[in-house]
Amino acid sequence: MSAPSASRSGIDDEQLRPSATAAKAREPMNVLIVGVGGQGVIMVSKALAWLAQSKGFEVKQSEVHGMAKRGGTVFSHVRFGPQVWSPTIPKGEADILVALEWAEGLRWLPFLKPDTGIFICDTKRIVPPFACLNRRPGAPLRYSRETPAEVKAHVAEGYAIDATRMAEELGNERAANVVLIGALSTVLDFPAADWELALSAFVPKKTIAVNLDAFRLGRNWIDAARRTTTVAPEAGAPAANIPAPALVAYSVRLEITPQWCKSCDICVKLCPERCLRLNDERIVELAQPERCTGCRLCELLCPDFAIRVHLDAVANNAAAAQGATA
Amino acid sequence: MIVDSAAAFDVRDYLRQEMMPHFLCPGCGHGIALRALLWAIHEQGIDKDTLAVVSGIGCAGRLSAYIDANTFHVTHGRPLAYATGLALARPDLHVVVITGDGDCLAIGGNHLIHACRRNLKLTCLMLNNEVYGMTGGQVSPTTSESRLTSTTPHGNAEPRFDACALAAAAGASFVGREGTRHVPKLKELIRSGLVHPGFAFVEVLSDCTEIFGRKNELGSSPEMMLRQKSELRPSAYRDTVDTPFRSNDLPTGILTKTERPEYGAAYRKAAAAQRASMAKASAAKSAAAPAKGTP
Repeated sequence: MSAPSASRSGIDDEQLRPSATAAKAREPMNVLIVGVGGQGVIMVSKALAWLAQSKGFEVKQSEVHGMAKRGGTVFSHVRFGPQVWSPTIPKGEADILVALEWAEGLRWLPFLKPDTGIFICDTKRIVPPFACLNRRPGAPLRYSRETPAEVKAHVAEGYAIDATRMAEELGNERAANVVLIGALSTVLDFPAADWELALSAFVPKKTIAVNLDAFRLGRNWIDAARRTTTVAPEAGAPAANIPAPALVAYSVRLEITPQWCKSCDICVKLCPERCLRLNDERIVELAQPERCTGCRLCELLCPDFAIRVHLDAVANNAAAAQGATA
Repeated sequence: MIVDSAAAFDVRDYLRQEMMPHFLCPGCGHGIALRALLWAIHEQGIDKDTLAVVSGIGCAGRLSAYIDANTFHVTHGRPLAYATGLALARPDLHVVVITGDGDCLAIGGNHLIHACRRNLKLTCLMLNNEVYGMTGGQVSPTTSESRLTSTTPHGNAEPRFDACALAAAAGASFVGREGTRHVPKLKELIRSGLVHPGFAFVEVLSDCTEIFGRKNELGSSPEMMLRQKSELRPSAYRDTVDTPFRSNDLPTGILTKTERPEYGAAYRKAAAAQRASMAKASAAKSAAAPAKGTP
């Protein structure tokens, strides 16, 4: 267990002398909290900052949340100690990284102290739009493929918790961040009662009970994970290891009624893949069949009903074509 | 398995194919609105034999001719009046009215407000393209201010009519608005209107590309369609994002939905009560008449 101890946080005359050990003792505790918009990253950091401040530490917190909306990246640096100068944590110096989303956690791993850093991560996957650039149905997502076991081999101490599912079982999926606070509380030296006080101050009044339950659940989960020497998190954390959905083999066929087309150009200009064009007679045709994903936008937006999109499974192509013409 | 809700719907099953291609100009939004209506009818499982489409005069009014169902192409501005009679006489039919902005708000404005007030089970689809397209591009009640039309060569000085606000104020129990850019959303809106037990007024913002768009230099058909995408806002965002649609602020989505007694049911109940009391009176009369005559 490489967590900071109480002696490190207390201010002592001995420690104020400029010696190497004292300087090390005066270093602030760096907690980096990351996630995506809407998960409660800021709430976690607020509770932690408030608690540290109430214990007499100097606290600096800085966050980026403005561009996140829902589903964008959000992070918050919390630093506390006898004296804190900079509000941001340098790369490779976070003592604890708390991630509310799996890929966000992996993205911020370089900020963790390589030898002693503690990684606490929810295995919840929130797939960003950038990971879905290939729009064919069933196409593989460009989302991280690392399994919790692989990641844990690279950090000093790692916990992959399926906090979202645990919070869901408690009755409120949105308490997942508090499950992670529970996990975080085990590696910091504040008493559990003070944590619960801080939580009660920051969660909505109606949800205090479920959040306190979530907090205790997170705490107990870490205790249990520590007691068992086996890789316990794997049992409860299959979420990050879902295989990519199989690519459905299908072919797209555009049935164009040329005598109905009035060359209005809507389908050509609004096709997301730009795979249509007007031919020499100003009639629509599929110029790049390999790029067509079969999204049907051209069919839906054609005012003249000239386009009909057929998605045929490749295996029984003939049967599908027969069904379509029947 | 590919999830594709549109795969089962082929619009050609609902069209009179011998009438196709239709007479609308290239890029006209009315064709897209027609598809959305037929898609909603398909998804709702309404049989073509129990569907009655009534339409007035104009580009929008012409659409009923292409639908393979019971259709009525009636006098200018009066489709709601015909539909009221039809829906009262045949409550088993799904009556849909297709009308244009001029047809519905100018010539038929009176019929609209009273149809809204009565709350008879009808679905009224008003295709708003801001102009009288068929007759050469004259100014209509919904033409935005300062827009050029053949009768306002220096820009329209009249304020625009907000048809949805009018319908809601007149008492329509379901009012919604959507553009032709979002076909699935439009289909869902029409579908909620079809199942609504009362008068459903749906305004479809449609592009008149050849007349209105050309005169006002709004660009090609795809450019007009992309403008819808950038300028229309769902009503939920109206308070936070103040972006106008064609220089006017028009919220989209379901704008009003209330529960009110349906006129057809109330009328039939009153008629049945009257019939019963008349039958009772005549029975009493016939019972009394022989009693008088016996002595």
